[in-house]
Amino acid sequence: MIRQAWNEKIMQGVFFVAACTSVLAVAFICIFLFHNGTLALSEIGIWDFLSGTVWRPNIEIFGIFPMIVGSVYITAGAVLTGVPIGIFTAVFMAFYCPKKLYRPLKASTDILAGIPSVVYGFFGLVVIVPLIRDLGQFLGMGGNGNNILTASILLGIMILPTVISVTEASLRAVPSLYYEGAAALGATHEQCIFKVVVPAAKSGILAAAVLGMGRAVGETMAVIMVAGNQARIPSDIFQGVRTLTANVVIEMGYAADLHRDALIATGVVLFAFILIINLFLAYLSRSK
Amino acid sequence: MKTMMNVQQKFLSYKNCPGSAMLRIMVLLSAVLTFGVLLFLILHIVVQGLPHISLSTFAWNYTTENASVTPAIINTLVITLLSLCFAAPLGIFSAIYLVEYAGKKSRFVEIIRITTVTLAGIPSIIYGLFGMLFFVVSCGLGFSLLAGSLTLTIMILPLIIRTTEEALLAVPDIFREGSYGLGAGKLRTIFRIVLPAAVPGILAGIILSVGRIAGETAALVYTAGTVAQLPGSVMSSGRSLAIHMFTLANEGLYMEQAYATAVILLLFVVLINAFSYYLAKKFVYA
Amino acid sequence: MKIKSLAAAVFMLCTLFSGIDSARAEWNASSPVSVISREDGSGTRGAFVELFGVLGEIKGKKADLTTLDAQITNSTSVMMTTVAGDAYGIGYISLGALNDKVKAVKINGAEPSIENIQNGSYTVSRPFNIAAAPNTDNAVALDFIAFILSPKGQEVVKAGGYIPVAEQKEFSSAKPEGKAVVGGSSSVSPIMEKLAEAYKTVNPNAKLELQVTDSTTGMISALNGNYDIGLASRELKAKEIEQGLKPVVIATDGIAVIVNKNNPVENLTNEQVREIYLGNAKTWDEVSK
Repeated sequence: MIRQAWNEKIMQGVFFVAACTSVLAVAFICIFLFHNGTLALSEIGIWDFLSGTVWRPNIEIFGIFPMIVGSVYITAGAVLTGVPIGIFTAVFMAFYCPKKLYRPLKASTDILAGIPSVVYGFFGLVVIVPLIRDLGQFLGMGGNGNNILTASILLGIMILPTVISVTEASLRAVPSLYYEGAAALGATHEQCIFKVVVPAAKSGILAAAVLGMGRAVGETMAVIMVAGNQARIPSDIFQGVRTLTANVVIEMGYAADLHRDALIATGVVLFAFILIINLFLAYLSRSK
Repeated sequence: MKTMMNVQQKFLSYKNCPGSAMLRIMVLLSAVLTFGVLLFLILHIVVQGLPHISLSTFAWNYTTENASVTPAIINTLVITLLSLCFAAPLGIFSAIYLVEYAGKKSRFVEIIRITTVTLAGIPSIIYGLFGMLFFVVSCGLGFSLLAGSLTLTIMILPLIIRTTEEALLAVPDIFREGSYGLGAGKLRTIFRIVLPAAVPGILAGIILSVGRIAGETAALVYTAGTVAQLPGSVMSSGRSLAIHMFTLANEGLYMEQAYATAVILLLFVVLINAFSYYLAKKFVYA
Repeated sequence: MKIKSLAAAVFMLCTLFSGIDSARAEWNASSPVSVISREDGSGTRGAFVELFGVLGEIKGKKADLTTLDAQITNSTSVMMTTVAGDAYGIGYISLGALNDKVKAVKINGAEPSIENIQNGSYTVSRPFNIAAAPNTDNAVALDFIAFILSPKGQEVVKAGGYIPVAEQKEFSSAKPEGKAVVGGSSSVSPIMEKLAEAYKTVNPNAKLELQVTDSTTGMISALNGNYDIGLASRELKAKEIEQGLKPVVIATDGIAVIVNKNNPVENLTNEQVREIYLGNAKTWDEVSK
């Protein structure tokens, strides 16, 4: 009996240690990134780094404001294109989809989620870029198709699976009484869904949007291929931009010394963005 | 809910509420758009890639002539297995602690929940940077499959913790009480009663992580490297399937082979999904 | 703005659903040039900027002044796909990667070809350098370098579309056993892959590992011993030579300036290319003025 009690204790310890690893991992990632990033920040000056509008690493001018703007624009664009379509599709899946179609469609959104981002990047480069280039020339906006609009659409497509699955789950979590009550009062199918069920699932849908936003901010490989990557502040959506993630990936290989630290500091800024989004998400799930 | 109405009745009922009709059109249009894009994407890859898959694509050794995917597939498998070896026990044990030991409202659970959510939200490029700074340089592992696997372990940990946690929570308390009632200890209850009941959920999480590993590029380029040959050991560098495609495409010399690799990746994703469906179905009926 | 984006959305849907491939408009010389460049630090970009003089002084330091409006890519294939699809695009790639999807323009009247680079009429070229780790005693690495510089190795270089070195030494392999890690520039990697394969037929005992990274990583890793041989698609920096790296030129690679196939421009002068990349010539009209 005593041995068994010992076993219990030991295993509880093991479980506890395992549980601590994820905390440790976050702590480690923070320490490593911040340690390496702050070197650059202190040398360049945090304000100059964040608000500087010129990025010319070969003469040691490091300003990442254009990249912050780029990430914000592209993320906003992705949310604007991906979230409404995602929510409507989720409504379709939950309330309209014929039973026979449901399983294959559900499976295909899972596949959409599993496709590597490199594949999306090539798809964007070969299919979406020429489309937008023609559109730009049609509207007289010029540009060669590698721009904010293209990146937003591509990212919009990439966040669809996340938005669809989270929204659908939250729609299904709304008790069917809500729908039936509304239907009994004579509301149409759409009124039942959009005036009663969707508002009831509000917090879940918001969480879906925020999750999608997180994916869009962090996306790298696909964005590099279609966003144009110019390190300057764009004046319209037919101009290219560089995101924070692109800045890191494009130049990491070549960078040395201060340049490299500046790139890691870019990663730190990105990390801060993600943390803010996560805190927001945690706040949402708590207020639910 | 799905009453059969003929088209005319439907039309009449919408005549009074144009808003509803609009919404209905929006819903259908969105669905068509989403699945249209998906279909187009898949067709595009298959049409571009399938003609370039031949026997030599699967030759044992990589050469510039065949751009074989076999070493990349083996590397992917090694990385997947290694990562799971580290991440699965860690993740499952953490979830056990969170659900079975820590109190539901304890401060510790709260902290861990926040950190797992944070980990889950970190973009893969940051994992790549961290992996390079920590495993490759500080730990002296160099570009190696091991360094790549360790980086991915941290990346998939939150996924496994979350899914296992949910699976454990879904096991009814009656199971535990019954086991205690028969005189079993806590440990025995967990391993004999609770875990087996939670297997499908745990497996689902593991399969999801396999999918994430297969599709990963940014985190692996900086940790596992890009050597195209068969790996000698876990300390040798090697490229996974996704990186293989990325490097093939990068210099523009092997675009056809890159598309062929994309088809194989796609196939992999479909297989993983099919497997998880199969498991889910099997356990639900069992 | 709103109306424009609405119009954009409607147009997108139309194109998507009807599958209309809007007819390519006629060449319009007043259209803006879309400039595409490699990323800062790339060996190809460094050589290009140096050769065309896209340079200037900022704060007393010599600086790469490629216009900030230039689209940046870190991949040759993205560069080629973009130029192949964009009628007004201009970019530059390694001559070895050139294919018939794009058009390489003449520079100062000279066609980019191996002969013209060898006879000196096409001047836009850069060396492919390799550098062994300082004081390395890795027999495989040393044997491999000797092989690359031999007539047999240079044959492979030529077959790959690059210009072989003039001075070639006969060589017979000592067939050492072991492993060597070769890594660096992604521009040099394709030919290095071929060389490694050819070397294997000479010396089956050796195992060569190729890491595709970039020039700077290649040099740093050769210095700290992670690589036995580092690859660079540019001249070595003074600092790198100071630290003990000895560059060996294994081939010369032309840089082709590429435009879309519908672009009527056949020839550009050094001056014109420079004006384009400095952002001074903004339309194709201005370029040909």
